[in-house]
Amino acid sequence: MLSRRTLIVAVAAAAFAVLGGAAKADARQDAARAFIEKLADTAMTTVAVKDIDDAERNRRFRTLFVESFDLAEIGKLVLGRYWRIATPAQQQEFLKLFEEIQVLTWAKRFKDYSGETLDVVAVHPDGELNVSVDSLIRRQKMDPIAVTWLVRKSGEGFRVLDIKVEGASMAFTHRSEYTSVIQASGGQVEGLLGAMRRKIGQMQAEQSAAR
Amino acid sequence: MTAFHPRSVARLAASMFALALVAGCATPPPADDKEAVAEWEQINDPLEPTNRAIFEFNQAVDKAILKPLAQGYRAAVPQFGRDRVRDFLNNLRSPIVFANDVLQGEPDRAVQTAMRFAFNTGFGIGGLFDLASEGGIPFHEEDFGQTFAVWGVPDGPYLVLPILGPSNPRDTAGLATEWLADPVNIWWDNTGAEWAIWTRTGVAGVDKRERFLDPLDEVERTSLDFYAAVRSLYKQRREAEIRNDKVVDKVPAASVSSAGEPAQESN
Repeated sequence: MLSRRTLIVAVAAAAFAVLGGAAKADARQDAARAFIEKLADTAMTTVAVKDIDDAERNRRFRTLFVESFDLAEIGKLVLGRYWRIATPAQQQEFLKLFEEIQVLTWAKRFKDYSGETLDVVAVHPDGELNVSVDSLIRRQKMDPIAVTWLVRKSGEGFRVLDIKVEGASMAFTHRSEYTSVIQASGGQVEGLLGAMRRKIGQMQAEQSAAR
Repeated sequence: MTAFHPRSVARLAASMFALALVAGCATPPPADDKEAVAEWEQINDPLEPTNRAIFEFNQAVDKAILKPLAQGYRAAVPQFGRDRVRDFLNNLRSPIVFANDVLQGEPDRAVQTAMRFAFNTGFGIGGLFDLASEGGIPFHEEDFGQTFAVWGVPDGPYLVLPILGPSNPRDTAGLATEWLADPVNIWWDNTGAEWAIWTRTGVAGVDKRERFLDPLDEVERTSLDFYAAVRSLYKQRREAEIRNDKVVDKVPAASVSSAGEPAQESN
C-alpha cells in the first residue's frame, strides 16, 4: 500500500511539475506578447508623434531603445568573432556608435510614421530562454510587413535580441555587412569604427538638411 | 522566337564569364583560420570583385533610368491604378505559379492558384481585380528557382546579374526556365504579338522597382556597405520564400536592386 501511495504521489507530483512547467512557459509567452505590444504602443505614442523636433525624437527613441533592447548582446552577435579581437575600448565605442546609428535609423522611420499598427499574430518559445513574437505591421492600402521579434527574459521584463523583417534578421544582416567592412580594412576593427563614424556624420547631416 | 532566344542567354553568360575573368575572384582565407573559412563559406561570394563591379553598374543604371521611371510611375499613377496593374501582372503569372506549386508537390497551393486564376480572369475582368484575395485566397509567389531548391539543388555562389540584380546559379537557371516556359509569352510570341511581351516585361520591371523604392532607399541610407547588406538580405529572403513562411508569403521579395522580372530586358 505504502509503495502504491508513494507511486501515486510521485506520478501526481510529476504531472504537476510538467503542467506547472507548461503554465510557466505559457505565462512567459503571454508576457512576451504583452512586452511587444507595449513596446509598439510606446513607440507610437511617444516617438512617432508629430509635434516634436528631431533632437527630442532622437532622445525619446534612444531612451526606449536602451531600455528595451539588449544592446550588449546584440553588439556581440553583430560583431561575431571580431568582438573577441576588439579591445575593451573598441567594444565600448562600437556599442556607442551602433546605438547612434540605430537612433538615426529609427528616428527617421518614426518621423515618417503614417498610421501603421502592429498586431501580434503568434508567439512561440525559441530555446530555453528566448521567445519569438510574430507580428504584422499593418499599413494603409499596402501589404502588411511581417516582423518577428526575438526577445529574452531579463529580470522582471524582456529585452529584444533581434528583429526579423520578412524573414531577414537584422542582426545577421548587420553582421554580414560589418564583417565585410572589417575585411575590406585588412581585418582591423578600427576600420569599421571609422566607417561607422562617417555614416553617423552623414546621417546627422541628412537629418538636419531634411528639417 | 525572336523575342526570347536561348542564344542570347548563352551570349550573356559568355560575356559575364569574360567579365569575371577580367575582374577576377576574391581571395579565400587561409585554411587554418577555421572561423574565417566558415564565414567565407557562409557568405559564399567567391566572385565578389566581379559582383561588386556589376552592382556598381546596376546602381548607375538604376539612378539614371530605372529609379526615375519608378518614381514617375508612382507620381503619375494613383494607388488604385497601380493596384490594378499589379493584380493584372500577378494574374498573368498564374500559369507559372501553378506549375511550380505542382512541381513542388503542393497540391493545396496549386488548387488555390488555379481557382484564383479562373475567378480573377472571369469576375475580375481579365485579372485587373484580385477578387480572390478579398474572398480569402491570397496571391502567393512561386518561381523555378524555389522549385529547384525544394528539389535539393543548392543555390551556389552569389551572383549579381546585369540589370536584374542579386541572384545565384540556381535562381538564374530558374529565371531562364521561366523565360522559356511562360505560356503567356509563348502564346504572344507565336501570334506575333511581341510588343506585348516587351510591354509586360517593362511594366513588370517598373512595378517591381516602385515597390522597392522605399525599402531600398532605407537600406542604402542606413548601411555601411550597401552591397554586403543587399547580398545578405537577398539570401535570407530567398530562404524564407523557399520555406514558404506563411507570414512572409504576402509580400514579394525585398531582393532585387534593380527592375526586371524575366530576363528579357538584358537581351
